[in-house]
Amino acid sequence: MPPRIQSRSVSNTLLPYLTANSSSSSTLPSLPSLSSTSSQCLSRQFSATAAPQGQTKLRRQMFEWLNNEGAGFKHHLPGETNYLTRLKQRGPEGSEKPRPFPNNPSFFSEPVLSEELRNEVYNRVVEQKKSVRIVSVELGIDMKRIAAVVRLVELEKRQRAQGKPLALPYARAIHEMVPTTPLAEQGERQTYHEPINDLPAHPLTGSQIFYPVPESRSFNRVEAGRVFSGAPAMEHSEAAAISHPSDLAEKILEDPNSIGWVGKGANARQILQPADVRIPHPHMVALERDRLAHPNERLAVADLQSKRLERQDAIEQARRERVQARREKKLTVVSPEDSRFDYRIKDTIYTTETTGTDGRGSKAVGRRYGVPHRDRTRGEVKIPTRVEA
Amino acid sequence: MRNRASNTLSKGKIRQSWSKYNLYNMQRFRSPPTTNRTFFQQKWSAKAASRAYHGEQVREGQWKRMFNHRIRSVIPMNASDLAADDGSLVSSGRGSGLDQDGKPAYQTRPTPYTHMTFAPLERRLDVAIFRALFASSARQARQFVIHGAVTVNGQTMKHPSYLLNPGDLFQVEPDRVLYATGHTKTPFERRQGRLSRRRAKLDKSDEVEAASEVEAESKEPAKEDAKETQKEDTKETLKALLAQAKSVMSTGKNTLAPQRKQELRGFQQAVRRVLSRSESSTVLADSLEAQFSQLTLLLKAKRAEKPVKKDVKPRPEDAFAYAERDAEVASSKADTEVTASDKLSDAFAQATLGNEVDASELSDEEFDTLKRALTQMRDNPLDNSKTYSTPWQPRQYMSAFAFIPRYLEVNQNICAAVYLRHPVARPGSAEVPTPFGESIATPAYGWYLRRRW
Repeated sequence: MPPRIQSRSVSNTLLPYLTANSSSSSTLPSLPSLSSTSSQCLSRQFSATAAPQGQTKLRRQMFEWLNNEGAGFKHHLPGETNYLTRLKQRGPEGSEKPRPFPNNPSFFSEPVLSEELRNEVYNRVVEQKKSVRIVSVELGIDMKRIAAVVRLVELEKRQRAQGKPLALPYARAIHEMVPTTPLAEQGERQTYHEPINDLPAHPLTGSQIFYPVPESRSFNRVEAGRVFSGAPAMEHSEAAAISHPSDLAEKILEDPNSIGWVGKGANARQILQPADVRIPHPHMVALERDRLAHPNERLAVADLQSKRLERQDAIEQARRERVQARREKKLTVVSPEDSRFDYRIKDTIYTTETTGTDGRGSKAVGRRYGVPHRDRTRGEVKIPTRVEA
Repeated sequence: MRNRASNTLSKGKIRQSWSKYNLYNMQRFRSPPTTNRTFFQQKWSAKAASRAYHGEQVREGQWKRMFNHRIRSVIPMNASDLAADDGSLVSSGRGSGLDQDGKPAYQTRPTPYTHMTFAPLERRLDVAIFRALFASSARQARQFVIHGAVTVNGQTMKHPSYLLNPGDLFQVEPDRVLYATGHTKTPFERRQGRLSRRRAKLDKSDEVEAASEVEAESKEPAKEDAKETQKEDTKETLKALLAQAKSVMSTGKNTLAPQRKQELRGFQQAVRRVLSRSESSTVLADSLEAQFSQLTLLLKAKRAEKPVKKDVKPRPEDAFAYAERDAEVASSKADTEVTASDKLSDAFAQATLGNEVDASELSDEEFDTLKRALTQMRDNPLDNSKTYSTPWQPRQYMSAFAFIPRYLEVNQNICAAVYLRHPVARPGSAEVPTPFGESIATPAYGWYLRRRW
């Protein structure tokens, strides 16, 4: 294509910044006022169709949308969410949870913990020395989240003490954009942050099983678990001893080995337990049962519950200590005085589990003749799979 | 890896990004038609649309190895329901419970399993950083990781494809987060930054030459000057300071940004000047409360006699509306220390004990204004050396993308988050954030299921 002769006004439209900045001192004050259409006509004399005005149709449409309907999304509204679904909501706002994606009705923007609630969690766990389980039930926060909050607040305190940079304005802005669960006022009931008794769906329960049971017989969760895991039905005397599935929770807490096994060798698996055992807070079911049994004795029921929780904590603590002691027994720590490092020495274990049946397994430690180091084997992925805390 | 994740308007693909192009694309996205199209075609286009959003930075083969047809789900249990029934009610009759006036005994909403197809990708470090709102796109998050700005459990992790384990704590450098989520610098600000950098360079070289000479000379006369002039100009200084603070706090959107910045800078300098008069040399680095009390002491300011509590609500459109809330947070955080107001009153008590003439009387509102301006100056200062526009403001169109999924617990103050557990589906909702509905999620799941039955 031969070069086109450009009029002066065209170069002017190409450099809008120049004209905008120097318009006051420009020798030709009329130049910016020249319309771009006339310049386009000059430069493309042979085309009959209207030239695009520096923008494609799609771009023009986008900016049109951004300047009209989408203008509200430019800045956030403190204290409320500002999602695309706002456009489709006509009429009064319902009590529905906010949805960020207009096409996906099953994803919600869930509230996050407010700053005060976070500090309250830390206060109760670290300063009042309450157990994570109790704080979880009191505030309606998942136990894993409570552990994470304590860890994060601890880290924040340390960083503040060290004078490390913080992102305070950012935190403020995020808490204005995202729904939050506030800390209840003194004397008010705390709103639950999230469901705390989530039962994970076990893969065994995915199968559909035809299991005939007489209509006259009651078939409860304990028996259903046995059917799903392929265990034989319980003896009548054994079944009669269980008045309610939550009885098993107490039993398993005391003796985790009381859960039976099905299958042999590598296929051996534990019998699927009822939901009462597998939920994070089995003691809540026991409390509800006490309430049903003694509806008029609230104080006695509460007393019983606190004793139950204390007992559970004591048992769990003892178990943790036992595990820790066993681990320490196997481990010798040597820390030389002038060294930056501690040396943890463990006995190597050469069994079929570690070295494999042919003695070449990669799990076992140490150098073995004919077994290349893991780094040297082909196709070895070097990306770490875990980072020790 | 070449970045193909552009926000083209012609293709209209949705990406993991906060750009306005993406917002527009998300808004106009319609599910591809299914009439007159084979199942293969339907699955293909569903896969194409969802892979453009989920793990676009992951190769297809890599993702196929990660895919798992088994999807995690939970059912929230009600303790009182469990206590009331041992399960025999649900299995009574012919095995599915006896109807109560035509309704089944237990009603549940369907669990959107297929919305969870891309759950394994949410374990990736780069995606988790994007989900925790620490980066404005998954690509940017990836860059942060590669550039060494991210730690996992306290150790630098340079692999964006690191799969987080439940309980892992990851942290991004706060400056990177502020850069990713803040306004970009204007050309004016960039120029200011350049100039200040140049000035700092010059100052450094000057200092080295003339440090020893200046120190000895300037000490004594400066002290005398300060003592004499202090009494005279306290009133004027306070007045000027207040006027500046007011103008700083009240400017909304309609004033030009450069002008506001000039005001801010002026205020900052004025406060520094006043504080540098104090005897102790640590005030400038001290806490906000100490600074404020020192300031009031130096100016011999006194609160007016009527201590009427007045809540000044910031206007939402005010760009500096954070400041007041920040002050609240700051005062609530100082739980072990004496509260700010106590310190204030202490300062006043000291001032009155000194039997100095009352230089000026301030109303509560004026005190608040001064305090707010100070808070903002500390928490969100004007600093041209930063890579983002200061004082920090959230970037445009950010709020439309701002949500934090349940499987993360985020502490924004230190830009750290904990990956609590793997995302799960529950009746009526799925935890994997995906902009697509069932008509895309299910065919896409079907695409990756093939040869797996």
